[in-house]
Amino acid sequence: MKPSVESRTPTPVKIIIAGGFGVGKTTAVSSISEITPLRTEAAITTASEDVDRTGHVPEKTTTTVALDFGCITIDDDIKLYLFGTPGQDRFGFMWRDLARGALGALVIVDTRRIDECYPAVDYFEKAGLPFVVAVNLFEGRLSHAVADIRWALAIGDHVPLITFDARAKLSVRDALLTVLRTTLERATSQ
Amino acid sequence: MPDRDVSLLRPYLLTSGRTEPIDRNLEIETQVLTSELGAASYAGLSFERRDIVALCTKTMSVAEVAAILGLHIGVARVLVADLAALGYVVVHRPIAGLAGDPAMIERIIRRLEAIS
Ligand SMILES: Nc1nc2c(ncn2[C@@H]2O[C@H](COP(=O)(O)OP(=O)(O)OP(=O)(O)O)[C@@H](O)[C@H]2O)c(=O)[nH]1
Ligand SMILES: [Mg+2]
Repeated sequence: MKPSVESRTPTPVKIIIAGGFGVGKTTAVSSISEITPLRTEAAITTASEDVDRTGHVPEKTTTTVALDFGCITIDDDIKLYLFGTPGQDRFGFMWRDLARGALGALVIVDTRRIDECYPAVDYFEKAGLPFVVAVNLFEGRLSHAVADIRWALAIGDHVPLITFDARAKLSVRDALLTVLRTTLERATSQ
Repeated sequence: MPDRDVSLLRPYLLTSGRTEPIDRNLEIETQVLTSELGAASYAGLSFERRDIVALCTKTMSVAEVAAILGLHIGVARVLVADLAALGYVVVHRPIAGLAGDPAMIERIIRRLEAIS
């Protein structure tokens, strides 16, 4: 069989969906993606954190991190990809790779475990990538005041802090729009 | 030709015929499309490379190639870069600096706003 060839190739753009484990990254991607989210794995090399009992110097180990993603066709020429990635310090290497060329990032927070998003916030802050912090309203209401969350995360006023529902398509759309408006603001102020 | 292990572990060995330098660090959203040459050479390719050429007759991203073929993203990336160097696929990479292009961002915003 000789495969036949079509001709369109859209320009890909991407937004990173980050946050701690189980905060709703995959749920958010599924809510708005036009394809069933796909999953792929990336191998990352990390130094193990603990010195073992025999006192050996930590060895480098290879861990596999799942990356799931979906996409939205913007128009004939542009295709938006959403990459969901677990955020941990030791995945920094993968993030650098993933974030290169991204339009921005959505950092999802579960207020019951606020600290889990620190590495992501920290990373995007340092990388200079426009990002928005989005509180996933698991229980339908906030368990902390927004100002407290902002304080706990130590994010400046330039970082939008919103609430959303990862299960609702339009809510995810609006969260992504907040990311893009932050990107736009950055682009026009340069 | 039993090149499966080689293609997985040291793909650069397979690229001696490369015609242009290709960054092996392709962004994972890079679009991949099989070329006429790739389609014509399909039968002579082996394993993952054949799968990729067959799959990408419809444009898709490196990430989709990895997910659909069950490859680690890093492996998919290298295989695609090498197929591109050999002219079997054409890659369409993201445009650098697009995040700094207000007109483009506005266009994406308008389209996204229209989603219901
Ligand atoms: N009630 C409620 N449950 C939610 C919400 N968002 C996610 N969940 C549930 O929370 C669990 C974790 O959500 P996921 O989307 O898998 O989270 P994740 O961030 O992708 O998790 P990891 O990939 O494991 O890090 C799932 O069982 C979801 O169904 C929400 O807004 N409300
Ligand atoms: Mg997930």
